[in-house]
Amino acid sequence: MKPSLSWLTDPEVFRVNQLPARSDHVHYADEQDLKSESEKLYQSLDGTWAFLWARNPKEREKDFFLMEYPDDRFRTIQVPGHVELQGYGRIQYINTMYPWEGHAALRPPQVDMSDDPVSSYVKWFDLEAPLIGKRVHIRFEGVEQAMYLYLNGTFIGYAEDSFTPSEFDLTDCIRPTGNKLAVEVYKRSKAAYFEDQDFFRFSGIFRSVRLYALPQAHVEDLWARPVLARGGQGRFSLELQFSYEPGFLGSVEVSLQDAEGLPVLNDRAEIDDSVSRLEFASRDIGAVHPWSDKTPYLYLLTVRIRDAAGRVVEIVPYRIGFRDIRIQNGVIKFNGKRLIIAGVNRHEWNAENGRAITVDDMRWDIETLRRNHINFVRTCHYPDQIAWYGLCDEAGICLMAETNLESHGSWQKMGTVEPSWNVPGSDPRWLRIVLDRARTNFETFKNHPSILFWSLGNESYAGECIKAMYDFFKDRDDSRLVHYEGVFHRPEYRPSISDVESQMYAPPSRVGQYMESDGTKPFILCEYMHCMGNSLGGMQSYDRLFDRYRSYHGGFIWDFIDQALFVTDDVTGERVLRYGGDFDDRPSDYEFSGDGLVFANRVEKPCMQEVRYYYGRRIR
Amino acid sequence: MDVVYGDVTLGVHGKDFDYIFSYQTGGPESFVAGGLEWLYRTPKPTFWRATTCNDRGSHFPHKASMWMGADMFIETTGVEVLVDDAPLTGFLAPDNSRLIGSGYEHPASVEVRYTYATTTVPSATVTVGYRVVRTGDVLVLVRYEGVPGLPELPAFGMRFVMPSLATGYDYRGLEGETYPDRMAGARRGTFSVSGVPLTPYLVPQECGMHMDTDFVIVSRTGTGDRTARLTFRRHDRRFAFSLLPYTALELENATHQEELPPARRTVLCVMGAVRGVGGIDSWGSDVEPAYRIPSDQDIVYSFVISPSQR
Repeated sequence: MKPSLSWLTDPEVFRVNQLPARSDHVHYADEQDLKSESEKLYQSLDGTWAFLWARNPKEREKDFFLMEYPDDRFRTIQVPGHVELQGYGRIQYINTMYPWEGHAALRPPQVDMSDDPVSSYVKWFDLEAPLIGKRVHIRFEGVEQAMYLYLNGTFIGYAEDSFTPSEFDLTDCIRPTGNKLAVEVYKRSKAAYFEDQDFFRFSGIFRSVRLYALPQAHVEDLWARPVLARGGQGRFSLELQFSYEPGFLGSVEVSLQDAEGLPVLNDRAEIDDSVSRLEFASRDIGAVHPWSDKTPYLYLLTVRIRDAAGRVVEIVPYRIGFRDIRIQNGVIKFNGKRLIIAGVNRHEWNAENGRAITVDDMRWDIETLRRNHINFVRTCHYPDQIAWYGLCDEAGICLMAETNLESHGSWQKMGTVEPSWNVPGSDPRWLRIVLDRARTNFETFKNHPSILFWSLGNESYAGECIKAMYDFFKDRDDSRLVHYEGVFHRPEYRPSISDVESQMYAPPSRVGQYMESDGTKPFILCEYMHCMGNSLGGMQSYDRLFDRYRSYHGGFIWDFIDQALFVTDDVTGERVLRYGGDFDDRPSDYEFSGDGLVFANRVEKPCMQEVRYYYGRRIR
Repeated sequence: MDVVYGDVTLGVHGKDFDYIFSYQTGGPESFVAGGLEWLYRTPKPTFWRATTCNDRGSHFPHKASMWMGADMFIETTGVEVLVDDAPLTGFLAPDNSRLIGSGYEHPASVEVRYTYATTTVPSATVTVGYRVVRTGDVLVLVRYEGVPGLPELPAFGMRFVMPSLATGYDYRGLEGETYPDRMAGARRGTFSVSGVPLTPYLVPQECGMHMDTDFVIVSRTGTGDRTARLTFRRHDRRFAFSLLPYTALELENATHQEELPPARRTVLCVMGAVRGVGGIDSWGSDVEPAYRIPSDQDIVYSFVISPSQR
């Protein structure tokens, strides 16, 4: 297939040869690999890559991906990382306005091709021994915002959706040594209309890149469905999807162990290369320890594939939890009790590296959340790095898992609702794109007990496209609730989108008004207590709502961490924090990204003690 | 205690203190305690706080900006002197000559009371009395007289600028930075703060308030590296204070922390009224009504400045 630049603006093309989204499990080659967690079937491509950058497609080196393209023309760049933080292109912070505001008059799906920076990445690599001779896939965990992939001069595929994994099959083109992997990344595409989050506007390969080899038989997808039934009884079912090398014959073993390692369930089935899907039907497993924010009890599910001779071919471990969330008589019940959301919105952020955060950053965030009695995180407004979800499972941080969607620049103008060209609206051109985003979010993270809500995204107005996203989640997953706030502006969609009434920044009195006048749905503040600068006064008025209204479930403070960047001050030579407008980026929303409970350098703001107090009263 | 009825100032001297109250600058010009000068310039009432993000979003400074001028420029309209709590007439030249050698030079207490008129339209009156007793303790009595027709106050208090940066301060009150609408989570206790920290909000703004304080002791390095202390303690009700290296207007003018000048002075504001910070949003919602400062009501408070070095 011949790649085309026209895909950037073609609503029909947003996944080319991309593998279907799948669960985020890790697979191991054998018992030793599992025990040591060496993940030997995986090969990281993070590190220094060869790099070229151009202001726009016209100026790019079109042939950079060819084997014969001279190596000495490249500069270097670090992966993962944003190119803007490594000296290429402009750093820009802007909130609602689209980033080309005042520079180009565009309507979806148009892109300003004179200002669409192109990052051309090259990585030369040899396959590590355990990967040689096997099927090999590649996973890009996050590339902003559209990417064309080549291997050894051959076009492999195309992907959008900056914040979910993009995976491709490299088997046909890969060789043991001397591979040239080339990625052409575009800063702007039609995806820009759906990725208008209130954040710094970056581009590049900003999350990890890994190769992984597939054993003869491989678990492509797993969907564990632990159910917490009445009286603390557990039920469990499992759906597995496989891929094989031709001729495979063997078996699959499933075991479930509690946290002490005691067996809860064991099962086994014969498989061969004709079995692409296998279901272990639901069965009762007796009393279980529920997973909750207070006691994040996890069971270990292990899937082992053996060949006909009984040798281990692949092992997939996954930690799952039994918990229940449902709406009963207008009240959200979490494991049978009223759900209390002592929540915060969290952007991924590091003042040095932007959104290319590390696991250490995540661990600090988790500790800080726990210490301050914050039990719930809304992943505003995109899926986070995969590692985050597992850490939340372990720590008992509940999640509202948001889909990568925010289009407020298309309908919110100077603070008023002006939806004349809103996306996705009810335009069938956008339906597949937004559904794909919902599907990828769901398929990737569906096994995480910490996710209690799926969220369709943020501030994207409402119409048939968003309704279809809602229907998708409801159809696929009855073990979670689905959240969306944007129906606030389109009351006709209130009954058909969102399981809860969600509002943002409603003063306490307006929450009361809803409760008194309507109150048919449980109420959530998906954003409240805007912690910009010296703020967070008046929390008591929200806290009191818990006592007044049973179907008031709390909310998510905006937000966890200031988004600001460390730079060296020209005048003093000191490292200082800078924000929008400081990079000659105009128009800008300046310091509007500084709304965290912690400063950009991960020091708690003074107001945190207030959060600790009010949240602690409710969740302890 | 010796009182000096000068031509331009009134001096009060005791075993451990030397104070000079000026008729010319409109307030005390010198407080020496622990061998150290504590006043950089004459303290005045303060009405402004550096605009917070929520203030800006709700256009509060647009409504209240008159108070910024009042904070910067205030007119002294009167000075009175009370000796042993009785008004003294004829303390200005040339009448002061008759006080030399009189019993008025050794009273049990002397109070200098200043009257100020704000530059707002309409103008409001503020009186500040400094009543000194033999221990050197100064009872500061502050009264803002409410006037109809003025915007809500961003702040009201007394601002003391000290000539050098404090080495730290100790206070009994609430832990951390607190405001009337954000103080429930603060632990009560005695806290020791090293240096004069400024909360590093992305854009410099009002910060560092401590509500419900019993006392604050400011420490500065005196002669021979000896630490000198000045204590501000409650008289009747607890007070709020902030202790920062900058005035509200210095903070107001900076868009980044690094634009602030090198920290070289100590700015202690002892507050009679503090506006809440709000939190509903940063684009229009005001601070909740209970935490605003109405300008048409009197604000009366008092505190004691003590030179005791303990």
